[in-house]
Amino acid sequence: MNKPVALAVAEIPADSDFDGAPATKVRGYWQSVGYRLRHDWVTLGFGVIVLLIVLAAVFAPLIAPFSPYAQSIIGRLKPFGWRGHPWGTDELGRDMMSRLIYGGRISLMMGLVPVVIATMIGGTLGVIGGFAGKVANTAIMRTMDVFYAFPSILLAVAISGAMGGGIVNGIISLSLVFTPAMCRVAETATAQVKNLDYIEAARASGAGTLTIIRHHVLGNVLGPVFIYASSLVSVSILLASGLSFLGLGVQPPEPDWGLMLSTLRQSLYVDPLGCALPGIAIFITSICFNLVSDGIRAAMDVRI
Amino acid sequence: MIRRLMLAAGFATMSVAAQAGGVITVAMTAGEVPITTGTPDQGFEGYRFVALNLYDALVNWDVSKSDTASDIKPGLATAWHIDPANNKRWLFDLRQGVKWHDGCDFMAQDVVWNFARLMDNKAPQFDTFQFALSRGYLTSIAAVTAVGDHQVAIETKSPDSLVPYELSYVPMISRCRAEALKYDYSGYANQPSGTGPYLFSKLVPHERLELVPNPNYWDKARIPKQDKLVLLPMPEANTRVAALLSGQVNFIEAPAPDAVPRLKSAGMKLFTNIYPHVWAYQLNFVTSPFKDLRVRQAANYAINRDDVKELLGGLMEDAYSTIPPATPYFGHPVLYKFDPKKAHALLEEAKCLPCDVTFVISTSGSGQMQPLQMNELIKAQLEEVGFRVKLDIMDWNALGQVARDGIEKHPDDAAVNASKAVSDPFYGLIRHVAKAQWAPVGSNWGHYEDAETEDLIAKINAEFDPARRNDLLIKLNERMNAQAVMIWVAHDVNPRALSPKLHGFVQAQSWFQDLTPITVDP
Repeated sequence: MNKPVALAVAEIPADSDFDGAPATKVRGYWQSVGYRLRHDWVTLGFGVIVLLIVLAAVFAPLIAPFSPYAQSIIGRLKPFGWRGHPWGTDELGRDMMSRLIYGGRISLMMGLVPVVIATMIGGTLGVIGGFAGKVANTAIMRTMDVFYAFPSILLAVAISGAMGGGIVNGIISLSLVFTPAMCRVAETATAQVKNLDYIEAARASGAGTLTIIRHHVLGNVLGPVFIYASSLVSVSILLASGLSFLGLGVQPPEPDWGLMLSTLRQSLYVDPLGCALPGIAIFITSICFNLVSDGIRAAMDVRI
Repeated sequence: MIRRLMLAAGFATMSVAAQAGGVITVAMTAGEVPITTGTPDQGFEGYRFVALNLYDALVNWDVSKSDTASDIKPGLATAWHIDPANNKRWLFDLRQGVKWHDGCDFMAQDVVWNFARLMDNKAPQFDTFQFALSRGYLTSIAAVTAVGDHQVAIETKSPDSLVPYELSYVPMISRCRAEALKYDYSGYANQPSGTGPYLFSKLVPHERLELVPNPNYWDKARIPKQDKLVLLPMPEANTRVAALLSGQVNFIEAPAPDAVPRLKSAGMKLFTNIYPHVWAYQLNFVTSPFKDLRVRQAANYAINRDDVKELLGGLMEDAYSTIPPATPYFGHPVLYKFDPKKAHALLEEAKCLPCDVTFVISTSGSGQMQPLQMNELIKAQLEEVGFRVKLDIMDWNALGQVARDGIEKHPDDAAVNASKAVSDPFYGLIRHVAKAQWAPVGSNWGHYEDAETEDLIAKINAEFDPARRNDLLIKLNERMNAQAVMIWVAHDVNPRALSPKLHGFVQAQSWFQDLTPITVDP
C-alpha cells in the first residue's frame, strides 16, 4: 500500500548523541504514531481506563456479584455503601454494581457498532463520491446533506421514534445519524488526493479505478476516517444513552446506563448518589473515549 | 351590645377578606396547556383544570365530598327524565337565568347549536377537532331538539339509560362568542366564553393559562375564593416537585412517590384518595394465550400487589376488579388474591408452560403511574409462575394508537397496559366488554365476547330505574371478574401536594376536582 508521501517522518530521540555524526533515526509512519502514543501519558492513562471498562464488560458474569435482573422489593433504593450491595440498589432492589457492570456491555456495544457500520457505509459512499465526482458526487453528497441538516439527537430520536425502541433499532438509527458525517470526511479526503501526481501517474501507467482506490486512495482516506470514527464513539454512547433515557433505546429490564438514569431519576430525593451513578459511568466512559481519540488524532497528525 | 356586635361583624368581615385572594399556581402533568374551545385534549386533566372551570355541561359531577364516590348532579340542566312514551327520548330541563361569560343568556337553542357543532358536519359551526375529541361521548345520540326556550329533547339510537353520564363530558360553549368570531375557533381559544366558575384571562401557548373568578357564577357556593388560577404544563414529576419546593407553584399533580417524604419534610400537604382509575392490562381474547380463562386467572393470581404497593411508596390501592370497591355497583366479585402456586397449577392445566406473552407498555402517560418500574416488577412476578413476558415499550401516544387499533392490527400482542378512567357505568364496565365496543370502534381492545355479558348490557341500557340498573351493573361487574377480563393491578390514589399556604381543598373520589373553595394565605 502506498503510504502518504508527506507522512514519512524523522524523529530525534531525546537521548540522541549530537557529538559526531548525526544519529537521526528515521521511523515509519506507524512507528512514529506508536512512539508518540507511548509518550503521551494522558492518552495512555485514559486508555487504561477504557481497557478496564471493556474488560469489566466482557467478563461481567465473572465480576458482577449478583444477577443484574435479581429483584428484591424490600431491599430497594439502599444507599451507597450498603452491606452486601456496596454501590447500593436500584428502585426494584437490584444490585447497582452488577447492573452498572452489565450496563457497560450495552453501552460499549451501542458506542462501537453504529460507528463501525457508519464508517463502512459512509466511508464507501464518500470514497465513491469523492473519486467519481460530477453527478455521482452530487447525488451522494446532496442526499447526505439532507440528513446532515438535522441535529444528530433530533434525527436519532425521529428515526428511533418511527421504528420503535430496542437495541437493533437504536443501532440502525445511530448508524444512519453518523453515516453522513463519515461520508463527508471520506469524500473530502478522497477529493484531496484524487488529483495528486501519483494518482495521475498510476492512471497513466494503466491502473484501473478500483486498483487506484485500493492501493493509492484508501491509504490516505483511512487515517482521517479512523480518527473521526474514534471521536464518534463517545458521541454514540451519549446518544444511545439519551435514546434509552427517552424510552427509545434499550428496553427494560436490560441494564443500560441511559435507561437506569431514566428510571432512577424518580428516586432523586431518596438516593441522589445512586441516581447519579449511571450518569457518572456514562460521563467517565465517554470522556475516556474522547481523550483517547484525541490522543490518537494528535499522534496520527504528523507533519514534517 | 350593639357596638360589640358591630365590632364582631367587622372582625368577621376582615377575617373573610384575609382568607380571600391569592393565586393558585398549578403544575399539571400535561405536556401542553389543554385547549380551551370546549371538550379539552390532554385527557381528563384537561377537563379537571380547563373545561370544567371555564364551562359547564348539562350534567356536572359532584366533587364536593371526599368520603363517597362522586356521582353526577345537575349542571346546566336542572333535571332530566326519559319520555314516558318513548324510551329513546330524554328530556332535559334547563337552568334559567344563567348567562354566558360574554353576557348572552343561556337558552335551549344554545344546546342544540352546541350538539350541531359537534355532530353535524354541514352546520356552519361544525368543529372538526372538537368532533374528534367528543365523538366517544356522543355515539348513542341521534338528534337534539329544543322544546321551548328551556328544555331540550335528546333522542338516542337505541334505549340508553346512561345518557346523563355521557353528557357530563360535553361542555357547552357560547354561541354568541362563536358567531361574533365567525366560527374562528383558533380565535375562540384566546377569548373563550362559557358559563363556568372561572373567566378566561390569559393564554401563553405551551407555557400557561390564567383564569380569574366569575363573580356572576350561577352556583353561588362555587364562586372561586382566589384572585387567580394559573395552570402550568409540567410533565416531569421531579420538576413539579422542585417547582413546589422552590415556591414556583403551590399545587402539584402526581409527585413521584419517592419524593413524598421530601415534600412532607418541607411541610407540604399531601392529598390522596381513591378515585375511579384502574391500572390494568386489557387482554387479547382471540390470538393470545389469554383466550383461555385459566391463563387469565393465573395471571391475576400471580400478581403480588403488596410488592407493587411497596414500589409506589404505598400510593395505590390493590385492584382486583375494574372498578374500586367504593363504587356503588362493585358487588361481591371473585377476588384473585396473590397465590403463585395456584397460578402455576392453572398454567399447567391450560398446558401453557412456559406461557409466552407480549405486553405493550408505555414509558409514561396520563394515569400510567410508574409504568416502567411497575411493568418490570410484574414481568418478574409473572415469570415466577411460568409466564415468559416480553415487554414492547413505546411512548404514550403510540400506545394509545395500539389501544385504539385493537387486536386486528396487533394480533401478536397479548395485552396492552393502558390505565383506564372508570368514572361511570359505561366507562367503568360496558365499554371494555361489549361486542359493540370492539376496537377500533370502541374500547374493547381484545374483542371480548360473552353471551351473558351481552344480555346484561342490553338490560342495563333499557333499565331506567336507578336502583334496578345498579343491581344489573353489579351482576355485570361480578361476571367480568368471574371471566377475569383483565389483569388488575392497582387503583391510583391520585396523589397531589399543596403548599401549606393553601386551605380548603377537598379531594373528591373523582378524576375531576373543585379548586373554587381553596384560599391562599398571603
